[in-house]
Amino acid sequence: MTRLDATRRLVAALDREPVIASLGHPAYDLFAAGDRPENFYTWGSMGLASSIGLGLAMVQPDLRIFVVDGDGALLMNLGALATIGWIRPANLVLIVWDNAVYGTTGGQDTATAHGADLEAVARALGARIATTVHAEHDLDAAIARARVEPGPWVIVARVSEVMPTVKPPLDCVYIKQRFMAAIGQPEGATRGARI
Amino acid sequence: MSLEPHWAAGVCEGLHAVGSRHVVYVPDNPLSHVLRILDREYADVRRTVATREEEAFGIAAGMYLGGARPTVMLQSSGLGNSLNALTSLLIPYKIPALVIISMRGDVGEWNDAQVPMGRALPAILDAIGLPHATAESPETTAETVRLVGQTAFGTRQPGVCLLPRRVTVPAGGATTRDRRETSVPISVGVQPHDARVRS
Repeated sequence: MTRLDATRRLVAALDREPVIASLGHPAYDLFAAGDRPENFYTWGSMGLASSIGLGLAMVQPDLRIFVVDGDGALLMNLGALATIGWIRPANLVLIVWDNAVYGTTGGQDTATAHGADLEAVARALGARIATTVHAEHDLDAAIARARVEPGPWVIVARVSEVMPTVKPPLDCVYIKQRFMAAIGQPEGATRGARI
Repeated sequence: MSLEPHWAAGVCEGLHAVGSRHVVYVPDNPLSHVLRILDREYADVRRTVATREEEAFGIAAGMYLGGARPTVMLQSSGLGNSLNALTSLLIPYKIPALVIISMRGDVGEWNDAQVPMGRALPAILDAIGLPHATAESPETTAETVRLVGQTAFGTRQPGVCLLPRRVTVPAGGATTRDRRETSVPISVGVQPHDARVRS
């Protein structure tokens, strides 16, 4: 399956769960699959989508937080898996689109093309459930469970790289303010106040 | 009855006063005093260890998106690890955090390897446009931390409070562990046999 197909399956399965997207192609495909205010598109900070998801999961335990990361990005911040394994937020679902390349930068191999096993790393560092899926129906089944069963979940989805054709909104503050309002935490500065 | 230094109590007081209930950190010897006070006296403040400083800023950003007011604590050496998170996440998205930096490499330093980053740190913060203030004394630390946090969360950008070594590692004012490991390097240049005898 392509990353865009997989992303469309994810979005179709979700209700209003927040999704944090890693920069570049994971964010582009999340936008292409259907823009929604509960999407937080990062435009930089490669590797930190999983950490942003962890912080949000810690302070909003009643929301189920999804992260769409890339294999290259997660490899840049493997320590995040150790912290997630320590905190063990039951409401965090980390989906790794593993295409074995740095797709946004021209398709250079990542370590997963040469044997690195991110599911095994996630399990070793304390994820409650770590799984690898290859086919659409396995991805659907994993997402359906991850929406309701305690995590932290790490779903490594093997996908193929297809060049995206659209990009999400560029304005970072707009992305943030829209996201915070959508999850019920409107930024104070966006409202008026009594003098 | 606290045995912890006054400046460390001030950090706790200041961050709590500004509404921060989450401290994400990478450990540092002087900051251990802050962590002990938080553990003992601030049950409503949750402490989270990150594996490196960049990760700490990512976690803090997520906490802010969820409505919290995060504090990030690090040693000055860790600012280098944090620059991409600051310049491509917190600053462009206007995501605030109260940032407490324990200084190495400033006046009083004994370790060459800490000096280049410590010396450059204020200029780096200026270059990326982050406001910073220095806690000038133990007595004023609480107020400095509170004011930095007030500006950070009020104007929605990270605000940095620097804790210089002349405040955090005063002569005779540190713990025995601090004196051995960060203030007076008694084992430097000493043969292992001698070091064993001394310890």
